[in-house]
Amino acid sequence: MPPVVKVLVKRALILFVIVLIATYITILVANVGGYIDDLKKKEIEFQVAQAVQNNPQYKDLSPAEKTALIKKLAQVEIKRQGLDQPFIIRSFRYLWDAITLDLGRAEKMTSDSGSRSVRIIILERLPQTILLFTTATVINFFIGLFGGLSLSRKFGSFLDKLVIYLSPTSAIPGWFYGIFLIMIFYTWLHVLPPGGLVDYPPPPDPVGYVLSVLKHMILPLLSWVVSSFFIGIYSNRTFFLLYSTEDYVEVAKAKGLPPRQIERRYILRPALPPIITQFAFAVVFSWSGAIITETVFNWPGLGLAYYQAINLVDVPVIVGITVVFGYLIAATVFILEILYGLVDPRIKAGMGEAL
Amino acid sequence: MALLKVEDLVMYYRTRKGTVKAVDHVSFEIEKGETLAIVGESGCGKSSLSRAIIRLLPRNVETYEGKVFLNGTNIMELSEERFRKEVRWRKISMVFQGALNALNPVLKVGEQVAEPLVIHMGMGKKEALKEAREMIKQVGIAEAFVDRYPFELSGGMRQRIVIAMALITDPDLVILDEPTSALDVITQANVMNLLKRLKKERDLTYIFITHDIALASELADKMATMYAGQIIELADSESYFGKPLHPYTQKLLGSVPTLREDKEIAPIPGTPPNLLNPPVGCRFRPRCDQAMEICEKEPPMFSLDGHRVKCWLYRGEE
Repeated sequence: MPPVVKVLVKRALILFVIVLIATYITILVANVGGYIDDLKKKEIEFQVAQAVQNNPQYKDLSPAEKTALIKKLAQVEIKRQGLDQPFIIRSFRYLWDAITLDLGRAEKMTSDSGSRSVRIIILERLPQTILLFTTATVINFFIGLFGGLSLSRKFGSFLDKLVIYLSPTSAIPGWFYGIFLIMIFYTWLHVLPPGGLVDYPPPPDPVGYVLSVLKHMILPLLSWVVSSFFIGIYSNRTFFLLYSTEDYVEVAKAKGLPPRQIERRYILRPALPPIITQFAFAVVFSWSGAIITETVFNWPGLGLAYYQAINLVDVPVIVGITVVFGYLIAATVFILEILYGLVDPRIKAGMGEAL
Repeated sequence: MALLKVEDLVMYYRTRKGTVKAVDHVSFEIEKGETLAIVGESGCGKSSLSRAIIRLLPRNVETYEGKVFLNGTNIMELSEERFRKEVRWRKISMVFQGALNALNPVLKVGEQVAEPLVIHMGMGKKEALKEAREMIKQVGIAEAFVDRYPFELSGGMRQRIVIAMALITDPDLVILDEPTSALDVITQANVMNLLKRLKKERDLTYIFITHDIALASELADKMATMYAGQIIELADSESYFGKPLHPYTQKLLGSVPTLREDKEIAPIPGTPPNLLNPPVGCRFRPRCDQAMEICEKEPPMFSLDGHRVKCWLYRGEE
């Protein structure tokens, strides 16, 4: 087996173990270390008691007999749900189900189409989240990258100072700008919808549908772009300033390379690994949606589902979303390892020698 | 006609504390095939001088003026774009200080050596790489290394690559800015021998910037002492080492041990002046044991049979 493959297999195993641990911790936390089970048992006993009390068949039983019956039926139900086993054993069963992506059924939540399957709950929300937040993230990333790069060339200029002074505007979150944008473009100008995914009723033809969705995307997108505009450019500018003080950049300048080539080959190329990392993680995190922005714009995304699941203590949904993200992040890290090797010969050599 | 004639070159830059007079009215000239070594303590402005010649200015530059004639043309008057295309690396190339960091870590060394040919000579990449291969052989590195990355080479090899890169366009003038400072003594000697050999073979013109007087003496036809942003002594090597005139140069030479004679090593008292606020008049005055009243006025450059010195001691001897 070539050394690079060995290294990658090793990395993949380590990443898997990390996902395993993270998922297990989530299971423990989401179940409050087994306390949720006590609540569930009480709930079962209560439901069984109600059922027995209301069942005319048991009307003639004495209170003692009723209590005994309730206890017996409750035990059966608890056993049926597997709650008689100690939590520690069940926690590992949950872990196995989660890790094999057998996400099970939600306890309280239903998907928009009425299904209880956790998988469907997640899959129904994910596309909208990707559509809005991944688009926003990608736009912000490129604004920051190219804005920062061109600003780093104008170090100390008026524009440079202006961006530095305006960068604290990004301390205000996107949804807050969103409220203002809704006020301007909906309440005042009446040109854009205040929220939602699509017009009601949805346009029947696909083209009209897509246009309607795009129209609904403008304000939430804009709110995120405005919010991270200056800080994105500012932080990238500082990043590129650091990379452009390297000696080899000065050498390239002395060699008479045109500024564009210096930027491409001597600043961007060596800076590629951190840029790729930043991009990859921004994209992965965008998949988890954003709770408040989704609320403000009434956008049916995953962030809202996660928030509801936490509020309802719907353990299967919480664990399901977590494990899906665990895998996504691990996969991203793994792909990054390969990309690093491709863009930076030093890392490639390190991978070859690692074993 | 001198190959390079520098007249009253000035380069000041701004800092939060004030203006740093890194290059302060410097003049000198070099003939083709000559080597001028410029020596001085750290922070005396030698590197700033070399950068000012090739117009690599710091971002916070405040004043940049004077005349630099290359083959009779004042290159200070060229636009940035023309300077880049016509002067940089075509006419003047440079071997940088701390060459370990002078190579782009993610480009193959061959590409970096060949790059100037592609930009300035309009060569195709293949052809340029062929030339680079040839050049790399000339500086004593096996051809196979063209396809390696800088981190796969030792410090000495990298410095040789940087030298190959500086010579690839066959420039009129090569500025060597502390070319061996980051290397160990053995490698240093090898690189110096390489520089000497190349000079002889290719009739190169060097400006050699160093703080190491012994190294300078190996290569120099002409010597200059730089102190606090100014050139204070300029002479043929023979005259400079044989009969140094400026008290600072005398002390500088006195502070270096030599093999042939038994002498007392005397350090120079005091510290180099702050370029933010250099002493008025002669800048060496506060450290000079021969200082006089007149030294409070700035001395002009006196010339004694071509041996130039910026010191009041020689005012009557011109």
